[in-house]
Amino acid sequence: NKDFLEYEPKGVLSSVNVATAENAESLVVAAYAGIANDEMVGPLTHQWVYGSVRSDDAYKGGGGRGDVDVVDKFEQYNLTVADMGDWMTPRTWTNYYKAISRANFALSVINEIPEGEYGNKVIRQAELRFLRAHSHFMLKLLFNKVPYITEELTQEQILETSNNLSSDELWNVIADDFLFAYNNLPQSQDEVGRADKNAAAAYLAKLRLYQAYEQNDAHAVTNINQSKLQEVIDYADDVIGDLEADYGNNFLDGYDNGPESIWAAQFSINDGTVVSRVSFVTGLNSPHGTGLYGCCGFHMASQNMVNAFKTDANGLPLLDTFNNSDIFNTVDGNGKAPLAAGITLDPRIDHTVGIPGRPFKYRNTVNESGDMIYNFSWARDPGVYGYFGNMKEQQAPDCSCYVKEGPFIGTSKNVDFIRYADVLLFKAEAMIQLGQFGPATAIVNQVRLRATASTSRSIAAGASDIYNIGTYPTFPSKEYALKALKFERRLEFGMEGPRFFDLVRWGEAESVLNGYLAVEKTKRDFLSNAHFTAGRDEYYPIPQREIDFTGGLYQQNPGY
Amino acid sequence: VVTSSDDGSPLPGTSVSVLGTTKGVVTDFDGNYLLSGVDSNATLVFSYVGYKTLKIGIQSKSAINVVLELDAQSLDEVVLTGYSKERKVDVTGAVTVVDLASLSGQSLSSGNTMQSLQGSVAGLFVEKSGDPTGLNSRILIRGITTLGNNDPLYVIDGVPTKRQEVFASINPESIESIQVLKDASASSLYGSRAGNGVIVVSTKNKSKGGDVNVSFNSNFSVQSEKQQRYNMLNSLQRGQALFQASVNDGADPNGGYGEIYNFDWNNNFANPVLNNVTLQPYVGGDTNMPVGDTDWQDAIYKTGYVYNNELSLAANSEKSALFINLGYLKNTGMLKYTGYERYSAKLNSSTKLFNDKLKIGVNTQFSTSNENLAAADVGNAPTPGLAITLAPTIPLFDLNGNYGGPIGAGYSDRNNPVLMQYLNRWDNAEKNNFFGNVFAELQILDNLSFRSSVGIDFSDYKRKNIEPKVNNGFITRNVNRLIFDTNKYSSIIMTNTLNYDLELGDHRFSVLLGVESIENKLNTIYASADGFAVESESYFVLNAATGARTNQGISSGNSLLSQFGKLNYAFSDRYLASVTVRRDGSSRFGKNNRYGVFPAATVGWRVSNEEFLKDNDFISNLKLRAGYGEVGNQEIGDVSRFGLFESRYGPNQNVFQPDFFNIYYNVGTAYDINGNNTGTLPSGFVSTQAENPDLKWETTKEFNFGVDFGLLDETIIGSFDYFKRKTSDILITPPIASTIGEGQQRVLNGASTETNGWEFTLSYGKDFDNGLSFGVSTNFSSFNDKITYLPEQVRAGYPGTAENSILGHSQFSIFGYKTDGLFQSQAEADAAPTGGVQTGNSRPGGIRIVDINNDGVINGDDRDFIGTTLPKLEYGIRFNLAYKNLDASIFGSGVAGRIGADPYIFWNNFTQGRDNAGLGVLNAWTPTNTNTDVPSLSLVNNFTDTSDYVFRNNSYFKLRNLQIGYSLPIEMINKWASMSKFRIYVQGENLFWFTPKDYIGSDPERTDVNRIPVPTTISVGLNINF
Repeated sequence: NKDFLEYEPKGVLSSVNVATAENAESLVVAAYAGIANDEMVGPLTHQWVYGSVRSDDAYKGGGGRGDVDVVDKFEQYNLTVADMGDWMTPRTWTNYYKAISRANFALSVINEIPEGEYGNKVIRQAELRFLRAHSHFMLKLLFNKVPYITEELTQEQILETSNNLSSDELWNVIADDFLFAYNNLPQSQDEVGRADKNAAAAYLAKLRLYQAYEQNDAHAVTNINQSKLQEVIDYADDVIGDLEADYGNNFLDGYDNGPESIWAAQFSINDGTVVSRVSFVTGLNSPHGTGLYGCCGFHMASQNMVNAFKTDANGLPLLDTFNNSDIFNTVDGNGKAPLAAGITLDPRIDHTVGIPGRPFKYRNTVNESGDMIYNFSWARDPGVYGYFGNMKEQQAPDCSCYVKEGPFIGTSKNVDFIRYADVLLFKAEAMIQLGQFGPATAIVNQVRLRATASTSRSIAAGASDIYNIGTYPTFPSKEYALKALKFERRLEFGMEGPRFFDLVRWGEAESVLNGYLAVEKTKRDFLSNAHFTAGRDEYYPIPQREIDFTGGLYQQNPGY
Repeated sequence: VVTSSDDGSPLPGTSVSVLGTTKGVVTDFDGNYLLSGVDSNATLVFSYVGYKTLKIGIQSKSAINVVLELDAQSLDEVVLTGYSKERKVDVTGAVTVVDLASLSGQSLSSGNTMQSLQGSVAGLFVEKSGDPTGLNSRILIRGITTLGNNDPLYVIDGVPTKRQEVFASINPESIESIQVLKDASASSLYGSRAGNGVIVVSTKNKSKGGDVNVSFNSNFSVQSEKQQRYNMLNSLQRGQALFQASVNDGADPNGGYGEIYNFDWNNNFANPVLNNVTLQPYVGGDTNMPVGDTDWQDAIYKTGYVYNNELSLAANSEKSALFINLGYLKNTGMLKYTGYERYSAKLNSSTKLFNDKLKIGVNTQFSTSNENLAAADVGNAPTPGLAITLAPTIPLFDLNGNYGGPIGAGYSDRNNPVLMQYLNRWDNAEKNNFFGNVFAELQILDNLSFRSSVGIDFSDYKRKNIEPKVNNGFITRNVNRLIFDTNKYSSIIMTNTLNYDLELGDHRFSVLLGVESIENKLNTIYASADGFAVESESYFVLNAATGARTNQGISSGNSLLSQFGKLNYAFSDRYLASVTVRRDGSSRFGKNNRYGVFPAATVGWRVSNEEFLKDNDFISNLKLRAGYGEVGNQEIGDVSRFGLFESRYGPNQNVFQPDFFNIYYNVGTAYDINGNNTGTLPSGFVSTQAENPDLKWETTKEFNFGVDFGLLDETIIGSFDYFKRKTSDILITPPIASTIGEGQQRVLNGASTETNGWEFTLSYGKDFDNGLSFGVSTNFSSFNDKITYLPEQVRAGYPGTAENSILGHSQFSIFGYKTDGLFQSQAEADAAPTGGVQTGNSRPGGIRIVDINNDGVINGDDRDFIGTTLPKLEYGIRFNLAYKNLDASIFGSGVAGRIGADPYIFWNNFTQGRDNAGLGVLNAWTPTNTNTDVPSLSLVNNFTDTSDYVFRNNSYFKLRNLQIGYSLPIEMINKWASMSKFRIYVQGENLFWFTPKDYIGSDPERTDVNRIPVPTTISVGLNINF
């Protein structure tokens, strides 16, 4: 009886049912979902593991070095063990290529639909190529040499596609996709989650800036390409945007898709999915020792990061001497860290770092009972990682954007990939490198002025007013201008993740990070064996399993 | 009249002779006999093949009715080996007939006969936990065949199932026989599902001897896990360990643990001296929560009690037979707020019609159970593990009588496990199983019969999980939730077989032909809802929720269609041969490879029946066997061959692949593209699996050679089997390069494995004339498995590296570092190779890692295969002793030649900053305490990577069972209520064990600290037969 052995799968579809014009719009949505389908142990959106902990901004945190120990290996630059396990970079690699395959599948379906039958055809193709470029761009930052996968490749061809493009060639193929988006997308789209021309311009500015710093195989910067820098300025000028009035708006629920948000991953709550499509990528990072939050005290600010917020009498950062003395480095019996008299700070510290004795997330109470003054005991493992908590990825505990699932908190707050301040500082950096350091002063000061205007929430919550921030007089030299710009990027994006990638772009990861470690290890014993190896640690190893799965097709990064 | 004790039927042809004379007769068709002219003081001898010979004095009586008892070691014992019966002496495959005598009268504190078989059947490997359900964590027959599911197939009264709980729910009194079909030639008749071996069970269906038998078995057991506990530090001891670890790391202990302890020390890292350590008075400064000194294992465990009763009734009439068994088991659990309760019922009945030409009957097994097992905390950490690890300074209760919890710095993100057990006290899982068949047997001719059976295997599962709010220190849950997880599984099995027997002179043939169809269906519904205004058991109903709701569900199924045949041939009771073949079609495979054919052949030579051994007094039985067979495996998903897409609006990865972190992994196709932040989202489709129309059976080919022997009139019996097995086309889902894209993995026929091994059993039994009987039985088994072929892309999923791969090693190999003691000085550490995992351990008192490749640095290449986690040898030994009304037995078993992670080392030899540590850390290396293998304490540099430091030889020998029973004299109980048996006994289980010196943990069977340990059990019991 042949029928008896015929079985029709239930509740699923074959590719014949899916690859149709009617489903085109849905397939595009699925491709968007792909770029936000990340996880705590395989992040795509927030780069706290790869960009912040890996830099001088922050420590891993959590319950000792063994807690999610792969991040400890990142932090210690000790990735030489052949088998790194499954968490973090191997999963991130996989998750980005999942996102890329969704975009490519949608493209392959849409390419076949006649123009007349699908009015949005070119726009959707442009969006999908944008999404695909976005994922490849992020992969390039992490792994440097990665295979570029398009919808034209068959499975057999994909298995023959190595990661052997030169750095410049890879930037260019990624740029081709962004250019297609730039040329075919409307300036803005009604559905704010979609990529638009504005986002493509911002991304092209970012990409050309990275591309301008040409690296050799040892990851040293050998040349700074002037024409690429000019492109940075041109694309940045195409971007329409504005700074949020208050710096803190960028990190607060209720300000998603505001004027500063140029390109972001969208998250949502109470949307009928199992635990809501909230972002859990920073779910390990809540303050740990207080019942207001949950788990697990990861991503702690370094002493070096905290010291960087010191300002001089003119309200300018101490570019060379900021780390000569520590602040907030003792705790009194009430769990508060006093600040020595006479020291002033950049107000962005109270948006970035949880400091004992200072209000957290612009609040002093929650639910009329809980004390929101950050306390020493909110830290999980102060003996190892100190007690400086991260603040930007947190919300007040009563936020309607919160989902607490088990011990971890997810939020519907979007994760910004590019905000307008970034675009401004890309432009300033390009201008300084092109010798236009005078005009760049104004741009840096625009960012600083907004920071100056961002103290009211903290003060209203009872923060002692220790702020003193001022603007730069016109940069006197290219050298000074670069130093000021790099410091400004660190302050503006403190603990948001770009720091490590900035250092690698500038070719100074080894010098800055080993300099940082030499001092920081005297304050934090767990760093005593950490050492950054130039020519290796700028990038993560290509996951060994991917090399194995392709029969050794991919070339491993140097040093691994 | 002479009747059989087995079923009370007359025994025609019994020889009745007068001792010391040549006088004798044979009983007629009804078992009657007549002897005349016999001395009234003479003795009669009754003998019948397969029954114990009986001598009885005439004592002037004129009518002597005797009941002959079956000879337990009879050569004519009949066994079921697959759709038909065979005499045991004719069996030529590797089949173990389980000795049920050792089970009968035993207390079944676990409620699962399989646990009682642990260690007593050669080639059957059982791993268990202390869960009150008595389910096993692993059952393997002859080790490992494949890379995936290694569960055996059960065939119970002819109905197959892969579900171990069906077997577990059968009360031992109901069991007629258990056969373990170990090699492929024996199990091949079960074809595609026999790859992991087959356990054939038949249950009773009639009374023994008289018309009606009633039996009642009862036991009461007391269970304790005290022997299995780990010795952990108390509050002050933990302070000392944390001090030492902190100063070794160069960190001020008051910085890390100042919220818990007051360390009074000299602040000199070069020569640290702890003057005094005291406890801070309150946890996290909360004046309601004074610091505690809690022994969490003591707080969460209590004595467990098991009540197990079963009542059986069996009755025969001329035409009909009936067997009823009722059981009730209750286990109150050792872990607080856990427990298990099971009702079971069996009804087997048959009746004969049309001049006994047609027999129709039913076999049914019904069970319903309710269980509440170990819970997990808010962070999903199971409570048995928390009872070991939670800091002792957290009190069980605070001053307000609420459960204590972590507050402030220095505590882990874990809850009070007693609270979590309490909060989960309303959780339960209800399992209803219905299993059985209706059959008809038609005797077409004297030697030709037809049997038709319709079987059903049905399971209804319903788990209720109530997650109340949790307010426990800084680990809280603010929203309560109810989860219902239900599924229904059904399998309908239709079997038709034809049996034909033929005897032509010295030639005996028997032929079996059959067809079978199996249809399986599974439906699941998972629903959850948040937000219950009142937290009472009765209010947690889905409709009462006011918050978010979700539901999930799948529907799946598969079918099998088979034809099979078997030919047995025997010549002159000396030469035996058997050929079987089965052809299976499965809906799980594509058209190209839908059918698999599984042949087998065996030969046997009963040497003891040869003329040259006939008169040999020493050898009473000798049989040589050889067999070859092929069996299959189709254990893959129901829709593995298809290319599939699905809409994934709601699920996260946890829905597809349950794993703690997968709850937080979005894999859906919905996206808030409008930036609304909430509401129904647009959504799409995603590929989940690539197509493989060429998918086919995994095949196992096995050779088996065996010998069965009996010596000195079967006083000593034994057997030896050697087997060699190759499995190819193993069904695997290899990982693929991520660039291929999402949902492009597919199931392939890929790997090969090879296993060989042997089993040996030897037993001795003798009944002495003075009423003493004594028996010893031993069994030994061994197997070696190795992976012989793996596609390169799959290899990465296994231990090893490209250069030193798992090929040629067991799939249970451990790949790790080797260690060589502790560094005694910094100079010694500096002189040794550094790098990799040695970093941080290059310190006085640090663990020295061996530079295996001698390249001067330690890195991932310094790892090697250091052992396997399945034992090379398993053995068991049982002594039975009986004298008049007293009986005693002792049974022990063990394993040797394996390594395992000794879980205690993680705590006992290292300080985990947030977890409590074991007593061993007080004996850690210091410059003044160098004669130790516990490294100098550290909070940051603990070498817990896979190595021979953590994986140690965990062989053991366990005294599993000790029993003493007393039966009241039969004359006495006969008068009471015509009882035939009244026996009381005491029994101890899991009493004590021996482990190698290096093994420091408690029970070596406890490899997972997140499960309840296997308890030590003391039982008293009662067996009554009417």
